[in-house]
Amino acid sequence: MLPRKFWLPLFAVAMLAVPLLPVPEFWITQLNYIGLYSIVSLGLVLLTGVAGLTSFGQAAFVGVGAYTSAYLSVSLGVSPWIALFVGLGLAVLVALVLGALTLRMSGHYLPLATICWGLALYYTMSNMEFLGKYDGILGVPALTLFGNSLASGRAIYGLIWVIALASALGVTHLLDSRSGRAIRALKSGSTMAEAMGISTFRYKLTAFVLAAMLASVSGWLFAHFQRTVNPSPFGLPKGIEFLFMAVLGGVGHVWGAFAGAAAVKLVEDELQVLLPKLIGTSGNFEIIVFGLVLILVLKYAPEGLWTFVQRWFPAPQRVKDWQGVAPLPTRDRPKPGELLLDVKAVRKQFGGLLAVNDVSFAIHAGDIMGLIGPNGAGKSTTFNLVSGVLSLTAGEVVFRGRDVAGLPSRAIARLGMSRTFQHVKMIPEMTVLENVALGGYLRTSAGVGKAMLRLDRDEERRLFAEAEAQLARIGMAGQMHELAGNLALGPQRLMEIARALCTDPSLLLLDEPAAGLRLKEKQALAEVLRQLKAEGLSILLVEHDMDFVMGLVDHIVVMEFGTKLIAGTPAEVQASPVVRAAYLGTEH
Amino acid sequence: MDFTIASILALDGVTNGAVYALLALATVLLFAVTRVIFIPQGEFVAFGALTLATLQLGQVPGTVWFLLVLAGLAALAEAGEGLKAKHPPARVAKAVVSALAYPVAISLLVIWAAPQQWPLLAQAGLTLALVTPFGGLIYRLAYQSLADASVLVLLIVSVGVHFALTGLGLYFFGAEGYRNPSFWDERFNLGPLTLSGQTLIVFAVSIALIVMLWLFFERTLWGKALRATAVNRLGARLMGISSTSAGRLSFTMAAFIGALSGLLIGPTTTVFYDSGFLIGLKGFVAAVFAGLASYPLALVGALGVGLLESFGSFWASSFKEVIVFSAILPVLLWRSLRDPHTEEH
Amino acid sequence: MQARTHGFLKLALVATLAALAGTSARADITIGISLPLTGPASGLGIPVANYIKLWPTSIAGEKLNVIVLDDATDPTKGVNNARRFVTEDKADIVMGSAATPVAIAMAPVMAEAKTVQFSFSPAVVSAGTDGWMFRLPQGNAVMAYAMIEHMKKQGVKTVGFLGYTDAYGESWLKDFQDQASLLNGPKVIATERFARADTSVTAQALKLVSANPDAMLIVASGSGAAMPHKAVIERGYKGKIYQTHAAATRDLMRIGGKDVEGAFVVSGPAVIPEQLAADHPSKAVAQDFVNKYEKAYGAGNRNQFAGHGYDAVIVLEKVIPVALKAGKPGTPEFRAAIRTAAENMGRTVVSHGVLNYTKTNHWGFTTETGLVLKVVNGDWKIEQ
Repeated sequence: MLPRKFWLPLFAVAMLAVPLLPVPEFWITQLNYIGLYSIVSLGLVLLTGVAGLTSFGQAAFVGVGAYTSAYLSVSLGVSPWIALFVGLGLAVLVALVLGALTLRMSGHYLPLATICWGLALYYTMSNMEFLGKYDGILGVPALTLFGNSLASGRAIYGLIWVIALASALGVTHLLDSRSGRAIRALKSGSTMAEAMGISTFRYKLTAFVLAAMLASVSGWLFAHFQRTVNPSPFGLPKGIEFLFMAVLGGVGHVWGAFAGAAAVKLVEDELQVLLPKLIGTSGNFEIIVFGLVLILVLKYAPEGLWTFVQRWFPAPQRVKDWQGVAPLPTRDRPKPGELLLDVKAVRKQFGGLLAVNDVSFAIHAGDIMGLIGPNGAGKSTTFNLVSGVLSLTAGEVVFRGRDVAGLPSRAIARLGMSRTFQHVKMIPEMTVLENVALGGYLRTSAGVGKAMLRLDRDEERRLFAEAEAQLARIGMAGQMHELAGNLALGPQRLMEIARALCTDPSLLLLDEPAAGLRLKEKQALAEVLRQLKAEGLSILLVEHDMDFVMGLVDHIVVMEFGTKLIAGTPAEVQASPVVRAAYLGTEH
Repeated sequence: MDFTIASILALDGVTNGAVYALLALATVLLFAVTRVIFIPQGEFVAFGALTLATLQLGQVPGTVWFLLVLAGLAALAEAGEGLKAKHPPARVAKAVVSALAYPVAISLLVIWAAPQQWPLLAQAGLTLALVTPFGGLIYRLAYQSLADASVLVLLIVSVGVHFALTGLGLYFFGAEGYRNPSFWDERFNLGPLTLSGQTLIVFAVSIALIVMLWLFFERTLWGKALRATAVNRLGARLMGISSTSAGRLSFTMAAFIGALSGLLIGPTTTVFYDSGFLIGLKGFVAAVFAGLASYPLALVGALGVGLLESFGSFWASSFKEVIVFSAILPVLLWRSLRDPHTEEH
Repeated sequence: MQARTHGFLKLALVATLAALAGTSARADITIGISLPLTGPASGLGIPVANYIKLWPTSIAGEKLNVIVLDDATDPTKGVNNARRFVTEDKADIVMGSAATPVAIAMAPVMAEAKTVQFSFSPAVVSAGTDGWMFRLPQGNAVMAYAMIEHMKKQGVKTVGFLGYTDAYGESWLKDFQDQASLLNGPKVIATERFARADTSVTAQALKLVSANPDAMLIVASGSGAAMPHKAVIERGYKGKIYQTHAAATRDLMRIGGKDVEGAFVVSGPAVIPEQLAADHPSKAVAQDFVNKYEKAYGAGNRNQFAGHGYDAVIVLEKVIPVALKAGKPGTPEFRAAIRTAAENMGRTVVSHGVLNYTKTNHWGFTTETGLVLKVVNGDWKIEQ
């Protein structure tokens, strides 16, 4: 097997060479359609497979691109190349508006919204006088490139596949970049991403707009390939079919889009001829097969067709090319003993339940503080209040002199507070190194454009160097190329700590870091934490394991039923009868 | 627009809205218990109307063969799973027989009864008896093994089921449209309005069904079992409530409601094999208005959709779909701001 | 597991190549036909497909290889079908579609492939681009002419229009208004639209009835024509109601019931040969069509569109022998000769009247072909 990096250029050359060979015209037509559909499905891979947002309305965006160009070039005589950009702009605008409205919605509301606006757009296009209503626009001119007409199938084939392959390359580059990691973090929920400083809404919108742009380009090509546009290919059934292509091909893989588009187009054509012979009457029976295949794929092969092919192209390990790069800029450290975090009478009420009742404590720079208490005491809730994941009902939180109550968690992360989670939140399909690099999001700045054009390599190298350094700090550098999902629980927790460290925090919040670790691992972790403290990092940790806590921390706060019981040194807390009563009960 | 026209439009809107309300209720019911967003709900409507139309012509409706095919597949699935799990043959046989028993019985009855042209109400009963089992069978074949999948996966499966049902509907019913006779031909005058008997029946049935659903969920043990499954699947199972049975029951109820809606709209409009989809979607819009959770809100939402459609087609008939479907966006926005954002994994 | 996926991949590869290769069976004369067998215009496409099943298996000694594909009333599918006929099946003649927008969309593909397209719908394409398209049905203008003349005789001065929001509805409205202004006919004073899938047209009917025109013109097809008719009656309209030729089928009576009694439907002569005058040129031919169709599909099932399927055979039987002299099937000469033969066909009697294509006129029918029928007791009766 050739190394993976040769396969894409080989494939590209093969595909682009096809029209030069004496293949039947029918093949060219089929491949043209497959190319067009692949571009749209690629957008769905990004939107649904990677970002986790289901959209049934991509066909409507294809319509936007197609109709814009058709209308402009037929009625106003505008050059199709200019119309391409107008169409893109229009699609971006519509996507921004629809995205702003619908992307704040949770889970299943978004696909319902996409069904509805897909239908609304379809009926709008079908009823506009100037767009030719249901009959559409005829006589759309062919494209011309440097004086050559792209009217024939073979001619436009080159353009379609160049764009398709370039889009695939762009999306692949995007996924392996700072923005790509942010988008990949969206699928597992927004809490972790926000805590790393990522604006999940912004990236959802980005994925949505990119998918809309890809669909619009496909529509532009479609209009000048078919040379007639009418509303029916932009309706809901087509939108569903695009999603079907992506799911069948493998919605999490860039090349799954191509596999799915090819499979669906070829099977559809065969069925159109075959089914009437089998069934005895003519009619559109292919959708029965599609429906059944969709159900079967989701039941038995939810990762799609591409996973079968991918086994032949195992991903190579990342090449370590970041020796000797300049380190990322670091934050200025607080002076030892400076008041770092001042929690003043914070309160959280969930309806009638008072989870956190006027809890106050303070952490000074260079301290390790432990927050302990029986189960249900409100420790994690307090954590979430401090780090901005939950909103305060009352009280104040002052971090490094700034009032952070009410700020979203990503703003607090930006100020230098970082955290881990009670249940490990990570991205199992990324490697350990990439997961840790996600923590460095706030310290880097390359955007989507730079990522797709591969102009961010410098920054990426610096980021990976930093991530490796953090992994080395906690002793996991040897596992950096392992897939995060393959790790056991203990190393996963350590990886989370490395990720938090990658944000260059002044205060580290650890939520039960030792849970699930074995004795040796706990000792190693305690060593790491002591080393971090020696380097000037302040830590606040929630824990249940008394041995672990008592030997490690400088101060302890004990909570019970949402209230602060006692605060003091480990010795004081161990001796306190109130604490013993809280844990073990009193004598009656 | 004067008062007469407005009242006629309002009546039309509310009548359609009543049918959408039934569909919205079925949608909310299904989502609450099984977390399936059941897009093909409208197909049951079309099947109900078309089955009755075919019976009216004295022919055996294609629904019969469709049902037998599904029952056969379900029996095969039961057999396959039973054998794979190495169940005792008696148990496997029992499962196969119970999958086949009712569908075969009702199919034989309909084949015998169809040419005899029974009276309208009797044929309506046959239609309901014939279409209702589809729900349970579809659940068994498409959703049962995916019971713990995410809402999005279930939604995509629903889309697959919709495609399959539409295509099979074309095969079994043909491409032409049908219209059913009205159940009650009388006309009543109420001021400027003319209420047809059919309209009154639509209202009566809708209200009756809503009341029955309410009683079912509040007062019967099975209804409470369904609600328990909706709230916490695992907890309900620990209490001995089979989530498979709950799923099957709720799908059967949804099919019943769908078929009933088909009987109600059959007389007022021409139904084609693919008419169900848009009707179902409008019921959807109403269900979303209810947050896929609240029955009273679903009713309000459905009446709203009916009225919006009615007045919309008066003012701008070609844009009425745009109006109805765009109206969902502000509703969704309001919904999403109201509901706490939960992490869905 | 490795072996299994290996085998599966091989199979997939072979299947892919086979699929790309397509299934091109070679026979003598290949005719590709695209029809709306599903979708809003299925009521037009299915009868044509039904008659095609009754076609002869060979003409002039050459076997006919007929391929019928469904375009679902979708112009994009129609274009795909056309491309497929031309590139994969190497069709000598293409026919279709019975849905106007689809036929229009297919025209450029056929012109580019220099293959004749016999359209089953009155497709209006821009001037100069219908060089390869011949229409088998009467144009809407021809039918509108007959309808307007009838309206004038009935003293109709104002018309309310309730029609499909698609090409059929739009083109009827335009043709009707054009013809009316040419003939000093009635004015359209109110226009409302609806779609086949609508569950109710009460609002539209309300608006139209309150405008109180002398007559209503309903433009819909097949089973879809009954609902608007009933809605208008339900709103208490007492004036005359006219339907177009796409509604000239049994479905109108089947679904419309009592409500469509007295409706005027414009149609070609193919559906009522019994009532045609003895000297009407199409009487014998139309009778033959009705006999053949009703023998296969049941008495009373005759309709407008199946008649076009019948007429297509007459035209083919005239042009194919001529074209065979110029070239063998499957060659560009043969395809070009089909066009020349059609243009020089001369007066040809078909079930719908007299067709006469010329080099400049690919429509063929004159204004005499339209007849106005009245629905009386659930059956058709010619209006004199």
